[in-house]
Amino acid sequence: MSGTLTGHPVLDPRHAPPFPIAALPVLRNPQLRKNVAHATNVIQTKRARLVAEKTDWQELRTAAAAIRSHVLEDLGSYLEEFEVRCTAAGGKVHWASDAVEARAIIIEVLRQEQANEVIKIKTMTSAEIQLNPALEAAGIHAYETDLAELILQLGEGEPSHFVVPALHVNRSQVREIFARRMGLKDLPDDPKALTAAARTYLRQKFLTIPTAIGGANFLIAETGSVAVVESEGNGRMCLTLPRTLITLAGIEKVLPRFQDLEVMLQLLARSATGERMSPYTSLWTGVTPGDGPQRFHVVLLDNGRSSILARPVERQTLRCIRCAACLNTCPVYRQTGGHAYGSVYPGPIGAILTPQLMHMEFAQSLPFASSLCGACYEVCPVKINIPQVLLELRSQVVNQERRQPARFGDLMFLGMKTANAIFAGARRFRAAQWLGRIALRPFTRKDGWIHSLPSLGAKWTQTRDLRGLPSQSFRQWWVARGKEER
Amino acid sequence: MSAPSLSRQLILDRIRAATHKLPSEASVAAEQLRSYIRRGKLSVQDRLKLMIERLREYDAEVVDCMPEEVPAAIGKQLALSGRRVFVTPEGLPAQWLAAGFDWKIDRGLENAEIEQAEGVVTAAFCGVADSGTIVLHHSNSEGRRVLTLLPDWHLCILYANQVVETLPEYFDRCPSPSPLHPSDKDLSLGTPPLHPSDKDLSLGTPPLATYISGPSATADIEMTRIKGVHGPRFLNVILVRDEN
Repeated sequence: MSGTLTGHPVLDPRHAPPFPIAALPVLRNPQLRKNVAHATNVIQTKRARLVAEKTDWQELRTAAAAIRSHVLEDLGSYLEEFEVRCTAAGGKVHWASDAVEARAIIIEVLRQEQANEVIKIKTMTSAEIQLNPALEAAGIHAYETDLAELILQLGEGEPSHFVVPALHVNRSQVREIFARRMGLKDLPDDPKALTAAARTYLRQKFLTIPTAIGGANFLIAETGSVAVVESEGNGRMCLTLPRTLITLAGIEKVLPRFQDLEVMLQLLARSATGERMSPYTSLWTGVTPGDGPQRFHVVLLDNGRSSILARPVERQTLRCIRCAACLNTCPVYRQTGGHAYGSVYPGPIGAILTPQLMHMEFAQSLPFASSLCGACYEVCPVKINIPQVLLELRSQVVNQERRQPARFGDLMFLGMKTANAIFAGARRFRAAQWLGRIALRPFTRKDGWIHSLPSLGAKWTQTRDLRGLPSQSFRQWWVARGKEER
Repeated sequence: MSAPSLSRQLILDRIRAATHKLPSEASVAAEQLRSYIRRGKLSVQDRLKLMIERLREYDAEVVDCMPEEVPAAIGKQLALSGRRVFVTPEGLPAQWLAAGFDWKIDRGLENAEIEQAEGVVTAAFCGVADSGTIVLHHSNSEGRRVLTLLPDWHLCILYANQVVETLPEYFDRCPSPSPLHPSDKDLSLGTPPLHPSDKDLSLGTPPLATYISGPSATADIEMTRIKGVHGPRFLNVILVRDEN
């Protein structure tokens, strides 16, 4: 019954199968699809209600997009300003050009702290750099403290959403995991009891483990402050109780001014969870004597981001504030869930972010995992034109394929070449229609749909049905109609 | 370690190379950028009513009283809670510490002592009616962050003149510090003028802040909202009607 949890490969785009293949097991798992549909429906309904009550929603989106674009245009200066302010307040700023370096910096800090355990706030950036396996290898055990992350860690599962990472797991699966891993045989499966079990399990960890790792929702350049937005209070625990705190943040997370939060915070919770504000927003600046961690490290992570910055169309990807509204609204994500994307960043934003973070060397199937319906653009609080970026990345992938000599043996390439020739002439096109109608007839069911095709055609029909060709084309109908009228 | 500073230069060089290559896309006029609602339109009474309504939506317990009734109101809330041991920051007025309860005043209490307290009583910096948010800047009367985190029950004393309607109105009460490099730093987004009456309350940007919008909660299991994961499960607010 934990089949949806175990057996998933680590979400590494370098090893993930192409999207259509990775999506298959999910599409054949009705329980998983039900879980994903339920969660995304609940968030979408709440979001829609709270967005509707905000009469200046579009103005807020415009402001947020402008603030985020402005930061990216002068990112170097804002990062330096953040570094100066944070350092002046007693923080230590580290720069990591890639995942390997980020992991090494964090492990080095933990070694100096002589830490063999660490408590963690949910951070997708840590999953991006695959921090937990590296910590384990270094002999440091990480305790995830966000409820969803705890479920995944104890159940050895992978996140499928970045706001509610365990949305694909239902209550009986959570009960099974907690009962097994916490040794609670009689644990009931109601969410209240499960949450209470997590509270008890983590309380001692919060009070005794002196080192924490977390992410950042925002870095404030003018003050050197860091902001973390959360619901459960596990973030506050990790930010307040330990002696040492390490924050891992992508270089794009900067905001110019403290006041910019007035825009971002109004958009973030409404978009992410359908709340006016998340229960807790924490802000801190370096080290405050007598309050919270007395040693504070920030690791600024590039890991492919600066290369995205250089590209005019794709640059907007970096405006993202990880609200996941695009996931909840996406007709593709809602069917496949997150794991099919083979990345810690799933959904529409993942489909553009992941291949770019991989320098377009992996995850090239993701830009095609979209119907280009534009729902993601419509809900995006920072107005990222995801369809535009998808199209740009698709053209890059096609250009990559064009350079491969192997394409002459590829049926898809030859088919496209043939189609090109057919569409170039009316007579050839009519002949192809006639041939197609005859060829497809044996596969067309009585309901007018084709459910399975052999050979190359199976590429389409393995995941969707195809309308059979009508007995008459539009042109034939038009000509016949003209004759009747006369 | 010399490698980190090399990476710093490498990353900044990459960023500069990327950003210098492209023209600025700042085409939106500055006034348009801040055309969202800054100031609320509600009367004082309606603003307070909204604040109370929003807090109650979060299952927070709200009562109101006149300024001279604060000590009595605190005593009553503590008694109703059925709890006895409370922690409190050092800067709370002495007359707020109602008799008959075990008060642990925070002059550097250990976490374990705070953890054992049954509740905490603090002041606040601001309330935002639109989202029912309580803002703590962790001053002497609001307490260290851990104080309002470990105890399961939080009683917060909020004055009506601290309640604003919109989030931007709160930010107006925390004006920005002087820019790092005044000459080369043009943020081009325009600073809105402060409301004159807010000047007295201006304290600058806070080094520490916590915005609380309802009790700790999760919806991680099947989107069922459960109150009280790690933070306090019970939030109580006394709204002091000092608006006149």
